[in-house]
Amino acid sequence: MENYQFYKDNREFIKALESHGELVTVQQEVDWDLEMGAIVRRVCEKRLAAPYFKKIRDYPGFEALGAPLATYSRLAIAMGMNPKTSIPEISDEYVRRTTGTPIQSILVDRKKAPCKENILMGKEADLFKLPGPMVHDGDGGRYLATWHFVVAKDPETDTVNWGMYRQMVFDEKTMVGPVLPFSDMGKMFYGKYVPKNKPMPFATVIGCDPLSGVAACAPSPIPEDQFTGMLMGKPVELVKCETCDLEVPAHAEIIIEGEVIPNLWIEEAPFGEYTGYRTSPREPRTVYRIKAITHRNNPIITVSNMGVPTDEGQLLRSFSLGLEMRKLLESQGIPITGVYMLPESTHHMVVVGVRPAYSNIATQIANLVFGSKLSPWFHMVIVVDEETDIYNKDDVIHALATKCHPIRGIRKYEHSVGTPLYPFANPDDRKWSRGAQVLFDCTFPLDWPKSDLPIKVSFNKVYPKEIQEKVLKNWKNYGFKD
Amino acid sequence: MANREYDTFILSDPALLQEDREMELIVRELTPPDLRYKYRSAYVNAMISKSETKYPDRLWIRLGRGQLQEKPWSIKILKELNKLPKESE
Repeated sequence: MENYQFYKDNREFIKALESHGELVTVQQEVDWDLEMGAIVRRVCEKRLAAPYFKKIRDYPGFEALGAPLATYSRLAIAMGMNPKTSIPEISDEYVRRTTGTPIQSILVDRKKAPCKENILMGKEADLFKLPGPMVHDGDGGRYLATWHFVVAKDPETDTVNWGMYRQMVFDEKTMVGPVLPFSDMGKMFYGKYVPKNKPMPFATVIGCDPLSGVAACAPSPIPEDQFTGMLMGKPVELVKCETCDLEVPAHAEIIIEGEVIPNLWIEEAPFGEYTGYRTSPREPRTVYRIKAITHRNNPIITVSNMGVPTDEGQLLRSFSLGLEMRKLLESQGIPITGVYMLPESTHHMVVVGVRPAYSNIATQIANLVFGSKLSPWFHMVIVVDEETDIYNKDDVIHALATKCHPIRGIRKYEHSVGTPLYPFANPDDRKWSRGAQVLFDCTFPLDWPKSDLPIKVSFNKVYPKEIQEKVLKNWKNYGFKD
Repeated sequence: MANREYDTFILSDPALLQEDREMELIVRELTPPDLRYKYRSAYVNAMISKSETKYPDRLWIRLGRGQLQEKPWSIKILKELNKLPKESE
């Protein structure tokens, strides 16, 4: 087990953000009804420091942290790294930590669990006593859970899942939200509880430590609590719930316990989604009835605001989806140079760098990733050769526009699994989660004679090394600043 | 003058909605005495009218993706329906 720097709770993370200049403390009272959401949205669009709200209208004693992980700098801080660490370095570190033996969580006594400082049961367990924000004007309700995760357990295997499933407050005791049938929790609930007409215990965790949030976003086969342990280099401390046998992070700010109800649906949404649109309609969706709320003293809720890029949903989902693809392709021996999913694509577009060692390698890559469990969440694969910098959008666009043949280079995949959130899908396809996918092969065919291969004309490619060095050495002497 | 204000989401064409007939719908409360309860939803039996003044309370209309319609309607709530299972703690 290695010792990484990590933050055991949201409060330590807030201090770390502040010390790195990644936090703005908002002392002025803000309204939970749209104002807080609007601030977080603007922060995401301008890629600014995370807002830490000290006073929330109608909710004295509560605080909120907005856009906690909406930038790579904040992700680097969460992982105990320098905020200026490059994306490839953060990626390599993430892959290194999460490849190997999972780290089992440990159970702590409730006296050592700050999330038990206040326990609300019965009528006291009232969702409107928590400052759930109205995030966007026109949303179907207040979304208490925007940066959180839902804990559930497989009744047959006892496998635990932490996943981010949005939850809209309906009334004092009820939340509602989509649980897609191909998601991990969807498979548990619709596959194992609903056929027996049994309610499924759940616990919603709000204001967790940052790495638990990262893990809950990751589409890894490793249970998320153990995955968090791998990122921390230390077991996660969990504590038993009050009303069921689930376990939750002891240092979280707020826990909502209850049951997911089978064969009952309530209208949910619309909601501003990660695609940057309100796409999925108001529809009957999965119902959560609550039994208990536990929280720390002066709890700090976390608020993400999905919309046009870049928010933490897009950034972290892109990051972890891309890196799970990297692990998959490496496990198959594909000679890739890297995988980068662009957060600006709302995790719809992934760039794979490869050494084109044999013909149709791009098709092999697309078949693998489109055929995996990761597939419903993206639909565009761009395969580039090793001379393209996958992290440089200009370079990728240049490769796409110049190397991808408009007919031979594009392969379409029909009848895929999709999501109801695809803005381009027609209403019927959204309803039935049907999608389509596409490969853009930006590698030159191997059967072209070497003399016919176009030569990339760039500073690094078409000048001798000694000329490049001379120019760089004299750059400022020529009168240039940088 | 309206006593209280609600809104509701209409998923079909609002022009086709039947007025002045008892109907079931989900409304959100916009002006509760305790503001923490703003946007609380409830199933209700109610009468509605496209006239802003026919019934005692104001009803704002939103379409399926949240689009707010310019003019409010009015509503008379007859009964809040309890359609959800009782707590089982």
